[in-house]
Amino acid sequence: MPEIKKWAMEVRMSFEKTGMAKFISHLDTVRCITRAMKRANVPVWFTEGFNPHAFLTFAMPLSLGFESLCETVDFRLLEEVDLNELAERLDKALPVDITVKEIYVYETLPNDIRWAEYKIVFNNPDELLLERANSVLSSDEIIVLKKSKKGRNKVEKEVNIKEHIKSFELTEDNGKLVLNTVLSSGPSININPMLLIGALVKDTETDEQDVDIIKVQSFTENMEIFK
Amino acid sequence: MVKKDVEKLLKKVQKPARYTGGELNSVVKDKNNVKLRYAFCFPDNYEIGMSHLGMKILYSLVNAREDAWCERVFAPWEDMEALMRENDVKLYALESGDALSEFDLVGFTLQYELSYTNVLNMLDLSGIPVLKKDRTNLAPIVIAGGPCVCNPEPMVDFIDIFLPGEGEDVTNELIDLLIEHKEKGSTRLEFLREAAKIEGVYVPEFYNVYYNEDGTIKSVENIETAPQRVKKRIVSDLDKAHYPKDFVVPLIDVVQDRTVGEVFRGCIRGCRFCQAGFIYRPIREKSPETINEQCRSISDATGYDEISLCSLSTSDYTNIEKLIPMLFDWALKENINVSLPSLRVDNFSDELMEELKKVRRSGLTFAPEAGTQRLRDAINKNVTEEEVLRTALKAFDGGWTSVKLYFMMGLPTETLDDIKGICDLAQKVVDTFYRNPNKPKGKGVQVSVSCASFVPKPFTPFQWEPQDTADMLIEKQKVLLSSTTSKKIVISYHQSDTSVLEGVLARGDRRLGEVIYKAWQKGCKFDSWDEFFDFSKWTEAFNECNLTTEFYANRRREYDEILPWDIMDYGIRKEFLVDENKKAHESVTTPHCRIKCSACGANKLNGGKCDARN
Ligand code: SF4
Repeated sequence: MPEIKKWAMEVRMSFEKTGMAKFISHLDTVRCITRAMKRANVPVWFTEGFNPHAFLTFAMPLSLGFESLCETVDFRLLEEVDLNELAERLDKALPVDITVKEIYVYETLPNDIRWAEYKIVFNNPDELLLERANSVLSSDEIIVLKKSKKGRNKVEKEVNIKEHIKSFELTEDNGKLVLNTVLSSGPSININPMLLIGALVKDTETDEQDVDIIKVQSFTENMEIFK
Repeated sequence: MVKKDVEKLLKKVQKPARYTGGELNSVVKDKNNVKLRYAFCFPDNYEIGMSHLGMKILYSLVNAREDAWCERVFAPWEDMEALMRENDVKLYALESGDALSEFDLVGFTLQYELSYTNVLNMLDLSGIPVLKKDRTNLAPIVIAGGPCVCNPEPMVDFIDIFLPGEGEDVTNELIDLLIEHKEKGSTRLEFLREAAKIEGVYVPEFYNVYYNEDGTIKSVENIETAPQRVKKRIVSDLDKAHYPKDFVVPLIDVVQDRTVGEVFRGCIRGCRFCQAGFIYRPIREKSPETINEQCRSISDATGYDEISLCSLSTSDYTNIEKLIPMLFDWALKENINVSLPSLRVDNFSDELMEELKKVRRSGLTFAPEAGTQRLRDAINKNVTEEEVLRTALKAFDGGWTSVKLYFMMGLPTETLDDIKGICDLAQKVVDTFYRNPNKPKGKGVQVSVSCASFVPKPFTPFQWEPQDTADMLIEKQKVLLSSTTSKKIVISYHQSDTSVLEGVLARGDRRLGEVIYKAWQKGCKFDSWDEFFDFSKWTEAFNECNLTTEFYANRRREYDEILPWDIMDYGIRKEFLVDENKKAHESVTTPHCRIKCSACGANKLNGGKCDARN
C-alpha cells in the first residue's frame, strides 16, 4: 500500500471535447483522463482505501454525442507544479479531440452552475422547421415528455420547460438551421437539449438525430461565466 | 478518421466509439508515403478484438516499417451493419476511414472457429468478393493467421494465403514480396507462385484434395510451386523478437484493457486435450529483464493501472520468482496492479503467495479439468486431489473465500463416475474451508464449478477421438446437477450446440467451405455469441450440402487416416501423438517437459533447442 499523502494544490482543468470525442461517453472520458494523467506523470492525489484511484470531480457529465467547449474537471496535486507546463503535458497525453484549455486554481464550485448555452445545428432542416421552432419557442408553454425514474419504474411525465429557456436565437446558415439557446443546467435542474429538439422537430420531417449539439458555455445564477 | 457519411450513422448506434478510431497510440500515416497498406481484421467486435495481444504485436511490427501502414478493422455490431448496408457504407479501417478494398493485404486472425462466418461477412461488407475464385486482381490479397490455421481447410474457399505459426518474420517477408510484385505489375497468380516458396506460406489453391467414397481423404496433391507440407514458422529468440512499445488505448471498455507482458511461448505440460499446449511448441522463454522492461514501456505509454502476464501457464516460467518482485518494485509505487492469471495449483510457492497477497484479491481459480484421478491421468492433467486441497487450504489461509474450479465434460474415456467425481471434488474443497481453524470469521465459502464441453482438436493426442454428441452431453449435465445439493457449490456449464459446430469446423475438410458459405448466406454471424447463434440454420446448410456434423464430430478416426490438416507441419511428430493417445486409453501419464523430454519433435523447428530443458 503506498503511504497516504496530503495534497498541495486543488486545481481545475478546463477542456474541449469536440469532433469524434463526442462519441466518448462520460464514464469513458473519466477513464481516459485518468490514464492521461498517469501517462503525463501528473502528481495527482489518489483516494485512500482498498482500491485507490485518482480523485477527479467533473462539473457536469456530458451526454454521449454532444460536443463541448467548456468541460471542467477538478483534482488535487501532491506538489506545487507549473500549471501551464502541466496543461501542455496533459494535452499531449490526451486523444486529439480532447483539448486542454487551461489548468488553474478555482474559486467556484460545480454546484454554482445554473445555466448552459448550447449551439444546436440542424444539418438537414425541413422547410417548416424555422417557422415551427419560432412559434414553439415564443409560446407560453413548451410541454415535453421527461423520462425519470420513480423507484424501480421508469415513468414519463409532461413538464413545461418554458421557464428553463433563458434565451434563444434562430439563424439560418447555408441551408442549416442554427439555434443558440441558454437552458437550465446544473445539479438541481438540468434540461437536456434533446428534449427541446424533440419538441421543435415534432410534426416536421426533420431527423432529430441529424443534429450537432455543442455546449458552449456554463453560467452561474447571475449569468457570470462559470470558470 | 471517420468520413462524414459514417459520422451520421454513428449518432444512431450503440457504443459509437467502436467505430471512430482516434485512440491514443493509434498510428496514422500518409497513405501516399507508403508502398503497402495492410488491414488487420479481427472477426469479432471491437471489445474482443482490441483485447488481443497478437494483433497488437503485428500492428506494431508492420507500422515499424516506413514503407507500410497497418490499420485495424473489427466486425461491426448488428446495428451498425444494418445502417452500413442501408446507406451503402463500406467496411472501413479505423485509422484512415478507407474501405478495405483499397488495401493491398487484408489479414484476418482466426482465433476461434466460431468466428469464421464473420470473416465472410466482413469481406462482403467491404465489397471484396467473398469467394477467392472471384478475386482476380493482385490486390487485395486476403491472408489469415492464428491458431485455427493449423487446420485451415474449411476456410480455403475464402482465403488466398494462410500463415501457420508465428507471424512476425513471415509477415515482413510477405510484405516485401508483395511490394516487389506490385511494382513489377505481376498478376495474382505470379505473386502466389512466389509466395508459396516462402517457408510457412500455405497457398491452398496449389493443393488438390481427393476423397474416398466414405468421405475420408484419399490423397492430396501439391501443384505449382507448393511444398508437400507447409512448416509453421516460429520466432527463435523472444528477447530479440519485436514487441510493441505501446498499445492502442481503447476509448471504451474492452475485455482486456491493460499492459500485457508475454512471458514465454509454448507449454511444458502436455495436457492431452489442449491444442495450445501442442501447437505453440517448442518452449521459448523471455528473460525477466526483457519482460520487465516491456511492461514498463507499455505502462508508461498507456497509463494503464494494471499489468497481466500472459502465457499458457505463467507460473511455469522458470524465472517467475525473479520477475514478480522486479515488477512489483515499480508498479506498486505507481498504483499499478499486477495480476497473474492461469496460475497452476501444483507450483504455488509460499513466497509467491506472499507477493500475491500484496495486491488486490481477485477470485482464485483452479483447473483440475476432470473429476477423478483416473481421468486426470488419461488427459495428462498432472494434478492430484491432494494438491488441489492443499492449495485451496493455503488460499483460504490467505483470506480467499471463493474458489472457481474449471472442468471439462465429454473427455475421451469419461464415464458417469468421472462426472460425479466433479461434485465430490468440489465438496471436498468446501469441507476444507470449514475444517480450517484459520478461516476468515463470519464468512462462508463459495465454490463455483464451471464445466466446458470438450472439443477434440487437430495436433493433439485426441485428434482421432469422437466428440460426445449433444444428447450425451445433456445426459452428463443432468447427472452433474443431481450429484450435489450443496448451496456452497454453484454449477454452470457451456451450451452444447456451439461445441458441436466448433468441433466440426476444427477438424473439418475443404468441403465445409460450401457449408460455411451457405450458413453465412442464411444470416449466420457472430456464432460465438448466444444471442446470434442459430444452429438450425447451420443444420439446413449441412443438409443442403449433403454433409453431416456426425461425420466430422462424432466419428472415431483411424490412426492411418489422412487428416485434412496433414498438409500442415507443426513440428509435432504424428507417432508421438499416437503414443500419447494410446497412453490416454491406458490412463498412463507423461511427465512434463521439464522433467523429461518426450521427443515431440517441435524442437527441430528451433534448431534442436527447447527452453523446457536447459
Ligand atoms: S521438444 Fe521435448 S521438451 Fe520441448 S516441447 Fe517437445 S517434448 Fe517438450
